[in-house]
Amino acid sequence: MRYWALAARLARRELRGSLGNFRVFLACLALGVAAIAGVGSVSDAMHTGISRDARQLLGGDISIRMSHRTMPADARAALGQAGQVSEAITMRAMTQSGQGGRRTLVELKAVDGVYPLIGAMALEPAIPLAQALEERDGTMGAVIDPSLSRRLGVAVGDRLRIGNHDFEIRAEIAKEPDRTIRFATFGPRVMVTSAALPRTGLVTEGSLVHYHYRVALPKPTNVPAWIKNFDAAYPKAGWRIRSTQNAAPGFERFIARVTQFLTLVGLTALLVGGVGIANAVRSFLDQRTGTIATLKCLGAPGGLIFTTYLIQVMVLATVGVVIGSAIGAIAPPLTAHLLSGVFPVTIPLGFYWKPIGMAALFGYVTTLAFAVWPLGRARNVSAAQLFRALVVPPDGWPNPGYIALTAVAALALAALAFFATDDPRLALSFIIGACGVLVVFGGGTALLLRLIRRLPSPRHPGLRLAIANLHRPDNTTPSIVLSLGLGLTVLVTVALVQFNMAYQITQQIPKQAPSYFFIDIQPHQVEPFTTLVRSISGVAKLEHTPMVRGRIVRVAGVPIEQVKPDKDIAWAVNGDRGLTYATHLPEDAKVVAGDWWPEDYSGPPLISFDANVARGLGVGIGDTITLNVLGREITATIVNLRHIDWATLGMNFVFVFAPGTLEAAPHSVISAVYAEGTEAEEAVQGLVTERFPNISAIRVKDALENANRILDAVAIAVRTTASVTLLAGIFVLAGAVVAGQHRRIHDAVILKVLGATRRRVLFSYLVEYAILGLLTAIVASAVGTVLGYFIITELMRAEFVVSAMAIGLTVSIALLSTIGLGLFGTWRALGMKAAPLLRNK
Amino acid sequence: MTIGTVDPSQSRHDAAQSIVDLRDVHLNLRSAAGEVNILRGISLDIRAGATVSIVGPSGAGKSTLMMIVSGLESASSGQVQVAGHDLSALGEDALAEFRRDNIGIVFQAFRLIPTMTAMENVAIPLELAGTGDAFRQARESLGRVGLADRVQHYPDQLSGGEQQRVAIARAFVSKPALLLADEPTGNLDRTTGDSVVELLFDLQTRHGTTLVLITHDEILATRCDRIIRMADGLILAEPTSSDTTLKTA
Repeated sequence: MRYWALAARLARRELRGSLGNFRVFLACLALGVAAIAGVGSVSDAMHTGISRDARQLLGGDISIRMSHRTMPADARAALGQAGQVSEAITMRAMTQSGQGGRRTLVELKAVDGVYPLIGAMALEPAIPLAQALEERDGTMGAVIDPSLSRRLGVAVGDRLRIGNHDFEIRAEIAKEPDRTIRFATFGPRVMVTSAALPRTGLVTEGSLVHYHYRVALPKPTNVPAWIKNFDAAYPKAGWRIRSTQNAAPGFERFIARVTQFLTLVGLTALLVGGVGIANAVRSFLDQRTGTIATLKCLGAPGGLIFTTYLIQVMVLATVGVVIGSAIGAIAPPLTAHLLSGVFPVTIPLGFYWKPIGMAALFGYVTTLAFAVWPLGRARNVSAAQLFRALVVPPDGWPNPGYIALTAVAALALAALAFFATDDPRLALSFIIGACGVLVVFGGGTALLLRLIRRLPSPRHPGLRLAIANLHRPDNTTPSIVLSLGLGLTVLVTVALVQFNMAYQITQQIPKQAPSYFFIDIQPHQVEPFTTLVRSISGVAKLEHTPMVRGRIVRVAGVPIEQVKPDKDIAWAVNGDRGLTYATHLPEDAKVVAGDWWPEDYSGPPLISFDANVARGLGVGIGDTITLNVLGREITATIVNLRHIDWATLGMNFVFVFAPGTLEAAPHSVISAVYAEGTEAEEAVQGLVTERFPNISAIRVKDALENANRILDAVAIAVRTTASVTLLAGIFVLAGAVVAGQHRRIHDAVILKVLGATRRRVLFSYLVEYAILGLLTAIVASAVGTVLGYFIITELMRAEFVVSAMAIGLTVSIALLSTIGLGLFGTWRALGMKAAPLLRNK
Repeated sequence: MTIGTVDPSQSRHDAAQSIVDLRDVHLNLRSAAGEVNILRGISLDIRAGATVSIVGPSGAGKSTLMMIVSGLESASSGQVQVAGHDLSALGEDALAEFRRDNIGIVFQAFRLIPTMTAMENVAIPLELAGTGDAFRQARESLGRVGLADRVQHYPDQLSGGEQQRVAIARAFVSKPALLLADEPTGNLDRTTGDSVVELLFDLQTRHGTTLVLITHDEILATRCDRIIRMADGLILAEPTSSDTTLKTA
């Protein structure tokens, strides 16, 4: 106890006036902790907001969705007895602004008189929903999303044709309580009454229509038990039931994924900051070499020296952690302000101690991982030096105990990364990546320095001095290249991935993708539809295939609720999927295992399955998949696996049935039309939707533009977060410049004494920092390009294109940072008068 | 964890005995240029309570001899017995505790800790030894060197002479058996230096401490009982003295 008390007392004394030495330390630590705490707090706030407003988002305590068909009467009656029920019908439909006006695809929602059960619709003008949708003089009312007004050039009072009926626009939607954020929206919302829907003539057998039943249960009701009983009573219903526990599952998954990613970005910033922490601690301890030697001379054991400075560093770490946590804690209100109107629920303000605690832990462990090494080395200060004029810091490695402690801290950091991301594969990739990048940066810098050292010495003295400064003893080149380079690597990787994805979406995919998908084609419309489309000049290709919706209920006999699919294919088992049947192998399909069925196959149900989804579900040829199709369970055997290239945007299906199973089920047909040129495209849409009002046209270009917009928004968010890493790198650079200040002043004075002009000294420093910037840019661009190449070609299976702009940006930032900060730091050195410094020497 | 594993019974030495006993001490260091022989066979016996000055040109090995005696440097060979301890048998931490309990050192460059007040600087050896009333003793020690009114001052708020007085107070506060002073007046002007020397000898007499003093100042050297001359890592010659025994030259 006395030992710790004495160490604490000594640490307190050593803290006096030393805060200035730790500015970079505090900045690096606070930045990393703030990033992790901020990301975690915002994520927690969003989850809290979603669960708080879950009833509103869900539209009740329970939401049941059925595809293609309504709920059986007995089940519907049971629902009515359980609580208040609201029914809604959703589908995609084409709309037209009046007769002969513009057409566009919308998401149509037909609601009953009690909608919404929870929350309230807000309309502009502010009239009740029932009043807005009521029938007036034989015309039904509709309320629309403001974006549809802009797209079609319509306003309140105008007519809107949907299917066979002209609706009157009565108001614009200001708020739809149960509308969650969805990334795959095909068009703006149009809301009408359920009573008006039959007038459109859009709902026919096989149409892609979803029926939603929202139930407000009386309190108290054990909702999970109720769902279980209700499900058990109708085992073959084939519906999807959600409760407030998973009101917005897709969005929550998205938040979780983004949080994971941004936490790792924050951790990268913290690791980069760790270099700054190590530099700051080393630089501070170097300054304290005399004090440490004196303490040892007076009888302080090495362990006491270590403990004293460890306490001091951890006290300072606490300051950094508190600053970072405070910044992280104000992230939710800031985000709430930024996302007001975009996020479907209000982000609740509050202190989210869990993510902040985790960020603080990250901060402390990172400090330990990076500070123990220089602290351990400090105890090796030789007190005998006190008899000499110059007391110099020790070099070499610390004692094995401190190396082991550093390793333990590094392992703890890795364990925290596992815990924080909750995804062992992702965490492992991150850890291996981080170690790999450290090795590559360390090795790359050493190699480049060795090359520079071996180059013939330039004749120009300024140039010679600049190059020598890069590799002289105690140079900061490796730590600057590593820290600034890491930030730049993240930036260049993000820039390259974004560039390549945008390139795919805007350049590559449109080359092979169809122009339109037409959905809800009735089987009897196929022939006239085909004749019409083929008659349009510029149509190069037309494909159609039957489609019915169904969902997996069992995999190899195991109920889907008990199956744990790989995360990357979870989408295939979440909700309904399109199913089709085919006699022949589709044109672009590649069978990778098993054989396609014979043309004249007749027998028990067989399916051809997506090879990737099969892998993720752990099934193969001979296994069975049970699907619920329109309330009927069909168990089919997998006979072959196909490789599907989703990037072609062709008509690909995870499940393709052999003939003889789905033909009898009510279904519609989906068609892909490849048209060349804008004129042909417009003609296709105009003529088809004019002649067949029930057929909806999805323009692929619009969908791609939508995807590109989302990508742009995500890229901005990612790049902003990646900038945190770069900022940490710049802090480290600033720290290194400050630490080298004393040496610069000394060098500048000596050079001036020896007759160098300020201009010459300045030139030398300028060249040194420019080379440093270039070195950093070369290593960062190389590593970033390799990482980008890996992500694009291996993970996204796309063609990789190098972007000169991304590389140029990296070089510019590197040069601007090193030269700017370097010269800012050396300006004082140039202005120093020689005499006072020499007198002190 | 505790501080202080050196047997206290060994730390206070009988006045009649040798406090420093070196036998054929060599120190060889490796450098880029090859092996350098810093000390080349030093044997020296200093009786407790004596005052000894060590003189010689730069590079003679005077400071290195001090380092060996204080346990800050390990001899390459030979026997080093100080205050009853065989220093070659002690580890790093035990040597630190040995210094804490037996040795006081005054440096030419004062070596005060800049972040600590005068009183804290003086109290440090006592705090390290776990002395309960470290600050009271430190205050008294500062009073004895004439700095009672400067106890809360930081080193950079004190003059060179005052800093050296603080260093002397620190060296004497734990009543060490052996005081090593390395050019204690080297950074001071003549007048200040003289007063510091007076103080040093006054305290030495009062405490009966053995004083080993490195100096370039011949007049100061003659104030000691014994003068040892060194050059090139060897002890050259020494006037006869009742307190010293020259064994090897």
